Amino acid sequence: MKALILAAGKGTRVMPLTQSCPKPMLRILDTPILELLIARLRDHGVNQIMINTAHHAEVIEQHFGDGRRFGVDIAYSFEGHLQDGKLVGDPIGSAGALQRIQAHSGFFDDTFMVVCGDAIIDLDITALVAAHHHHGALATLALQSVDPSLVSHYGVVALDEEGRVTQFQEKPTPEEALSNLVNTGIYVFEPAVLAHMPTELPCDLGSDVFPALAQQGEALYGVSLPMTWLDIGRREDFHRVCQLALCGEVPGMDLPGKEVAPGVRVGLNVRFNLNRCHVTGPVVIAGSATIEDGATLIGPTYIGPGAVVERGARVERSVVQAHARIGSHANLVDMVSDGRYCMVSDGTLIDLELADMPWLISDARLPRAERTAAEQRFISHMQ
Amino acid sequence: MQLNLSQEHPWLVIQPEITHLDAGNVKAFGDAMTPILQEHTHILFDMAQLEFLDSAGIGALIACLRTAKERQGDFRVCGLNRPVRTLFDLMRLHRVFEIHTNRAEALRSPAS
Repeated sequence: MKALILAAGKGTRVMPLTQSCPKPMLRILDTPILELLIARLRDHGVNQIMINTAHHAEVIEQHFGDGRRFGVDIAYSFEGHLQDGKLVGDPIGSAGALQRIQAHSGFFDDTFMVVCGDAIIDLDITALVAAHHHHGALATLALQSVDPSLVSHYGVVALDEEGRVTQFQEKPTPEEALSNLVNTGIYVFEPAVLAHMPTELPCDLGSDVFPALAQQGEALYGVSLPMTWLDIGRREDFHRVCQLALCGEVPGMDLPGKEVAPGVRVGLNVRFNLNRCHVTGPVVIAGSATIEDGATLIGPTYIGPGAVVERGARVERSVVQAHARIGSHANLVDMVSDGRYCMVSDGTLIDLELADMPWLISDARLPRAERTAAEQRFISHMQ
Repeated sequence: MQLNLSQEHPWLVIQPEITHLDAGNVKAFGDAMTPILQEHTHILFDMAQLEFLDSAGIGALIACLRTAKERQGDFRVCGLNRPVRTLFDLMRLHRVFEIHTNRAEALRSPAS
């Protein structure tokens, strides 16, 4: 079966995590979300995958190439242009992406999937496709029920008794919402659906196509199958999903490294003496990281590749991303840090570079700055 | 630098009319604080309007705390917004300063 993975979004709501990579390439314990998604599709017989790209397209293309290493065929539909040696994204919307690919080669010639690239799912795709055929649907949306207070983040769907979509509301207020069944960005389509799309770009499935299909009484169905659905819509979702992964609760994801003590996993070439640190699992320390003697790691915590946790630092229920240096005086609790920013699990963001505190948190690949006399005085006052 | 002062015995409450305390204005802040710290030992610093502090700004607050402590007083802080509070927690400054959510809570807490 064929599929299109939507990966052209800018990821504005998860900045600064998406400053140098597109949202589907955010790494959960060093595995890109998109890699988990492609494995899931492959396991259900999806073997020809188009990915539309825009924002940081090169990160996706360089990772997946032609897909052979991942057991599928992959090609890309780039939505952007080259300007002054840099790729600039001009996304045309999810429906626009479908139309461009179809106009290019007529790629979609049988029942196919469309999936948003920024969620981790364990959906039984085979069962979804079977339901689609059973209904004789033109388009089928995989649905999930969410807490009614959260409906304004999603497309909300009202169904009749047969599961036919009678109304589609894009991001309604909780008062306006007709149900708490929401669109998960996972669809099964017949090629004929393309004839129902407006030709004006940008054009989006959620706001331009589904509401019209529902209104016209087309065979648009919604199916709610039990599944884990972890989407990274907002900054705080990233921390939550990493925590779940560390607890072994992310479907399709094995914990990396080798278990050296109960709940403590360590990758290759890690400098770490378990007996000289305070460690409570689950903790995963990735390759080439350094945990100095006297550091404290309280799980669920992840220390990324090449990261450094200095003596005296405390890292608790947190994610230290690749190559970050956590200084001796740092006390990271419920946070994600990449060596410049710290994001709290509630979404609060602080910029340590702007705060001029390289001795607190920095990039481990930078030459270690000598502390100025003023910084030294400051640190001694803190103790 | 404009500092709004009000007396809430035994505390002198200071609310600066600035949104940033950083390398750019820390000297002016120190100059404004010096005479106050000579006259008052118990100070409550209300940071409700402060959106950003950098290393220099926090250094200046620590200097105020030290001066007050040297004179058997105290320099409490309150009204920290989420990012500033996060920075304080990240630096373990809750071990250095007595931090209160807001002015009323700080004033209720007995002076040491």
